Amino acid sequence: MSIVVTGISKLTNAEAERIINKFITGIKPIRIVNALEQLTIAAVGSVLDNAGVAFPVGTSSIGIYIEIDDAIEDIKDEYFNNILNEGTMGVSPLLFPYTSPNALAAQVSIAFDIRGESITMPINHSCSNVIEYAAECVAGKYISSAIAGRIILNDRSSAVEGGKYVAEFFLLEKLDIAVKRGAKIYRHLKAETHENF
Amino acid sequence: MKNNVVITGMGIVSPLRPFKGIDIFWDALCLGEDSIKRMNLPLMNIDRQWPMAGIDMSILADDINMEDKFHFLSEFALNMAMTDAGINGYRNIGLSIGTVLGNILFKEKKLMDGTRDKKGYEGRCSLSFISSYLADKYNLKGPNIVVSTACSSGTDAIGIAARKIVSGKTDVMIAGGVDVLSDFAILGFDSLQALTEDKIRPFEKNRTGLVLGEGAAFVVLESGSHAVRRGARIYGNVLGYTSRADANHLTGPHREGRGLTDAINQTISEANISLCDVNYINAHGTGTTYNDLMETKAIKRVFGKTAYEIPVSSTKSMLGHSFGAAGVTEAICCLLSIKNNRIPPTINYSVRDPECDLDYVPNVSRQHDVKIAISLSAGFGGQNSVIIFGEA
Repeated sequence: MSIVVTGISKLTNAEAERIINKFITGIKPIRIVNALEQLTIAAVGSVLDNAGVAFPVGTSSIGIYIEIDDAIEDIKDEYFNNILNEGTMGVSPLLFPYTSPNALAAQVSIAFDIRGESITMPINHSCSNVIEYAAECVAGKYISSAIAGRIILNDRSSAVEGGKYVAEFFLLEKLDIAVKRGAKIYRHLKAETHENF
Repeated sequence: MKNNVVITGMGIVSPLRPFKGIDIFWDALCLGEDSIKRMNLPLMNIDRQWPMAGIDMSILADDINMEDKFHFLSEFALNMAMTDAGINGYRNIGLSIGTVLGNILFKEKKLMDGTRDKKGYEGRCSLSFISSYLADKYNLKGPNIVVSTACSSGTDAIGIAARKIVSGKTDVMIAGGVDVLSDFAILGFDSLQALTEDKIRPFEKNRTGLVLGEGAAFVVLESGSHAVRRGARIYGNVLGYTSRADANHLTGPHREGRGLTDAINQTISEANISLCDVNYINAHGTGTTYNDLMETKAIKRVFGKTAYEIPVSSTKSMLGHSFGAAGVTEAICCLLSIKNNRIPPTINYSVRDPECDLDYVPNVSRQHDVKIAISLSAGFGGQNSVIIFGEA
């Protein structure tokens, strides 16, 4: 079975707000609390737009597979340092949920109403694991298409608005479906056909 | 022919009779032993206690530093599972680990000491460190994955491992979950007013919230053909697995259980079984108002009238909620219920909630013929994961 890439996006924080403003009316109202969240929503919106996939999605046909590196540790540091500085008064119920790496995928699923699989893999090197697994899920017919990508520290010394983090995402789907809907095909991936459970 | 996946080994360290092995864990669970007591924060000096399910490390001969607890528990449970499976020597074993906070006590300690720039800090704080560390130490050269999907992490770790075998990436995967009690999480859940000051009472009318716990649990998965070829003992088959997003709210579940309903339906379809084939449901059962009601609604929407005939229990009533370890711990409970034809109880249950009106196996375990068991997991971010096990 041939799996193809039909959407690509790559953004830094410096571009995230401008990109989100392009499709803000097409997503569910959502309170954006931190820079990583804003970047992830912008990058996923951008990849769906690039692939010609309408949103809000409203079905479980699309899954989201995100890799995040130690960028997530910045949120944890902020949360715990607040406690160290202010004691229990420093515990932030607003920030706490974002210390769980899947919060970014969750906010994406809410914003674009993506009800399929939602998998977050904290990995410290390349995003080959998450792309490979997403392709396997499409090939195994667990989902029809997959949004797969990563959020990573781009430049630790940079300010957030200066592009500290970068996000890159791809839309993966089966070749026949991509051809049927007239999607632009960027690349073919190797994926083995297998029966599911 | 389908490439079926079987479970051939199990290992667990939980707050209930820790370090004593699977059989003693199971006996204590079926006796309805409560591992929860009031405890202080692990590291910070705050004059307050919460009900928690902590692992008593003092019973070990060696002193284990708080910062090393995460790795110690992981290795202990991993070793137990590998020994149980007798799987040493296969050259392409993969590893899939679910964790929410990783070695958070190490991070807390370093931040408290102000020594975060010390060599090795960044690496050991990384959530992916544990899988690389264990893979190196135990020569696990197959696929290496860490998954962090809040309280569904452990179930997703098993599901992903099973799919790696189905897709032919390897014949053997070890899947586990691990998390430890931390100041970080206790204060966070307290700020969300999710913790109870009472006992945890899943599905009961007077339930007031969850109790945090800790632990490590691992299972060994193999392709059926590989397990049969080497004459392994088989605890059960993985019949299906699904992950679904609620796409609704960052911290609360969808009130009607939309994502969980879809996940259960999809997993049953994948397993190719009938609704009446299901003999036991190990619920997520956190003891919060909304989770338990949502879960009950989802089970009723899927099973209809049959829902009232299926025993549903929450082992968190005895073990607390161990985050990344919960899904694997509860998978082991399902496999042991199949092996022993016994269903562990939901303890602390006395007053029936008219809206949660299923058979929650109140207070006393029950002899029951279990051929197929389902484990449900849900978590922050609207995560829902479902896995089905069948008898060998």
